Amino acid sequence: MDFGWTTSDDAYRAELVSFLTQELPNNWWDSFAYDGPSGPELMNNAGSFNRKLAQKDLIVRHWPQAYGGQDAGAWKQIIVSEEMWSRGEPRSSLYLGANWAGPAIMKFGTEAQKHRFLRPIADGEVLWCQGFSEPEAGTDLANMKTRAEPDGDGYVINGSKVWTSYAARADTMFLLARVGATGKGGVSCFILPVDAAGITVRPIPAIHSPHDFNEVFFTDVRVPADARLGEEGQGWDIVTTILHYERIGAARYEFSRRTLDHIVTHLKARGLFDDPAIRGECSKALAEVEAARLLTYVVIDGRAKNLPPSADTYVARYSMIQADHAVANLSSTYLPDLLTHDGDGMLRAHFTAAITAGIAAGAAEVQLNMISGRYLGLPHGA
Amino acid sequence: MDLAFNDEQRVLHDAIVQIVTPHMDIPRSGPTVKPVEFMYADRLDHELAEGEFFSIALIDGCGLLEAAMLVYETARAPLVIEAAGSALIGALLTGEALPRPVAVARMEDLPRAVRFLDRARTLIVDMGDDVAIVSTDGLPIAPVHTMFAYPMGRVLEKVDLSGSRRLGPSAVPRLRHLCRLAIALETAGAMQSAIDFTTQYVKDRRVFGRPVGSFQAVQHRLAADLQKARGCYWLAMRAAWSDVPADAEIATLYAQRAIKAVNYDTHQFNGALGMTLEHALHFWTFRLRILQGELGGARAQATTLAETMWGDPSSVPVPVSR
Ligand SMILES: Cc1cc2nc3c(=O)[nH]c(=O)nc-3n(C[C@H](O)[C@H](O)[C@H](O)COP(=O)(O)OP(=O)(O)OC[C@H]3O[C@@H](n4cnc5c(N)ncnc54)[C@H](O)[C@@H]3O)c2cc1C
Repeated sequence: MDFGWTTSDDAYRAELVSFLTQELPNNWWDSFAYDGPSGPELMNNAGSFNRKLAQKDLIVRHWPQAYGGQDAGAWKQIIVSEEMWSRGEPRSSLYLGANWAGPAIMKFGTEAQKHRFLRPIADGEVLWCQGFSEPEAGTDLANMKTRAEPDGDGYVINGSKVWTSYAARADTMFLLARVGATGKGGVSCFILPVDAAGITVRPIPAIHSPHDFNEVFFTDVRVPADARLGEEGQGWDIVTTILHYERIGAARYEFSRRTLDHIVTHLKARGLFDDPAIRGECSKALAEVEAARLLTYVVIDGRAKNLPPSADTYVARYSMIQADHAVANLSSTYLPDLLTHDGDGMLRAHFTAAITAGIAAGAAEVQLNMISGRYLGLPHGA
Repeated sequence: MDLAFNDEQRVLHDAIVQIVTPHMDIPRSGPTVKPVEFMYADRLDHELAEGEFFSIALIDGCGLLEAAMLVYETARAPLVIEAAGSALIGALLTGEALPRPVAVARMEDLPRAVRFLDRARTLIVDMGDDVAIVSTDGLPIAPVHTMFAYPMGRVLEKVDLSGSRRLGPSAVPRLRHLCRLAIALETAGAMQSAIDFTTQYVKDRRVFGRPVGSFQAVQHRLAADLQKARGCYWLAMRAAWSDVPADAEIATLYAQRAIKAVNYDTHQFNGALGMTLEHALHFWTFRLRILQGELGGARAQATTLAETMWGDPSSVPVPVSR
């Protein structure tokens, strides 16, 4: 049992940190990242940032060599996530491509699709978005209605998606649409450009961000047959295998950890840290964060060893949610004035990301359902 | 990073589990359960002593992590033995295999009920500014009958430690660090077993024609408890691996805080049966009850941790972002 990073891990982190220190401007939090990874300033900056990242070969090192990576593995991938997410994810939604859309294409794509989609991810050229949820299909995703009707040598897509982060500025969408049957068996995956004819995007202002959510409408959107990833009806399998790790893909605990230190700095400056009760609350939040870190590392350890995905992922995700909220509550209880629009960019970015942690990527209650069924083996409820 | 045991650790772990497992297998519920607050596992204690497991930390190539394994695995058993005091605290504090069982207490706690003091042969005392290692021979000690699932004893008169062996002031933080680790590990083990036991119970027990464990209100709380128990385990093992005070403070704080929910939920879900001495639940939960307040409880760990992590309340005055 070894909880230490290898020299190669440390060197990789140092390389990343040095790049980030050089590339991110001094006013990063307050002028770019305060609104999260889908904020317009951050997304606009991501284009040039990602291309520089690609030049240093820092986007897909964890990918297999056959696809332009260096087989650097799962630990290197979580290091990237820790360093990026804790800085508000300067890559923006490129990370969707690097973390799971790319690997999904490697596993289920044709040679032509690999050729078309993987290089642009490695080169930092595309921002992705994920079109899964619909008004009547959030948790109950299999209830989705958006249809892709076979038509000649392609499909015609009609329907709508909602809560779609990044869609207003992304290039490519990973879409779930129904071909034929109802239920899970009818779900298929498509990859298409967001500016395809017939797609309209309506931004939905939200409390956590004016720019994150969008509703995406599809009106007779025509796509070629090779926009489909995998077989017809294979979408559910693709999404459940590939997205399993995505529940913990963003290293939320690291952002919470660094934000907590930042909170303590503010509390000290205001003399609030003299209060032993407040010091104690900070310690308790730290313990939640470190539990989430280790429970995530348990999942990464399994992944590094190529073990099949397990229910540990839901345990880790649930723990991350607790940790995020523990830290966010410190901000809103003791430093609410810094969560204002002219407040502290880092605190605001953390707070707004943290309050959505229990809903995005599967509600907290769904994680508990999965732990109950798959870890504890409790019988199905009524 | 590699979170699996290495080959040597696995061999050792397997050996411990092999010895402990038969002792897990006692009647769990009903009139065949001996209706007592605790059962000291004399046979298990004897077998582990024969195998020299209590001095595992002193063997070349072994240390805290190996002792941690022993403490965690023995804490999972419904029967209790003294392992942490000798294998972890005593061995790593003194570099010796002290005559055991070993009890550990703060000076001010000696007149109160102290775990294992009724049978301890060595008493380690945190005197505040020094650590004393005391043979219990001739000490006026009496067993205390408690509801807690540990044997306990108290010192009847004020003891004079002036002639006792002392380890010096530098041993005080080390002793407290090792005690924290022991609390975190014992909590993790007992908590996991309380949850396992309860999970089985809610699968078996039926109400309104269906298992108690099929109600989502029950499932979610048990699932959240499981997350806490896994958190306890990994934080404790990391602390044992690193031997860093902050890690042990985090692990103990997390563990002592988690006890509240896990104890409440596991007792709720076992219903009245869980209150009886004929149902094994209390063997774990009433150990957790006493562990909850050791070393001042979560509040004290939180205070210490804040000091370790962030230092003096006013030490870093300028926020970096604005
Ligand atoms: C910040 C953020 C970003 C998002 N980005 C995207 C995106 O880019 N693309 C995308 O497709 N989607 C996205 N989503 C949507 C997200 O996937 C859904 O919000 C999520 O799946 C939950 O669906 P819902 O909001 O419709 O909640 P519902 O399904 O309506 O559920 C509401 C609540 O009911 C409870 N609940 C539901 N089911 C159960 C159950 N079985 N047992 C117990 N309790 C239950 C939970 O508390 C849940 O939060 C995003 C969401 C957020 C918050």
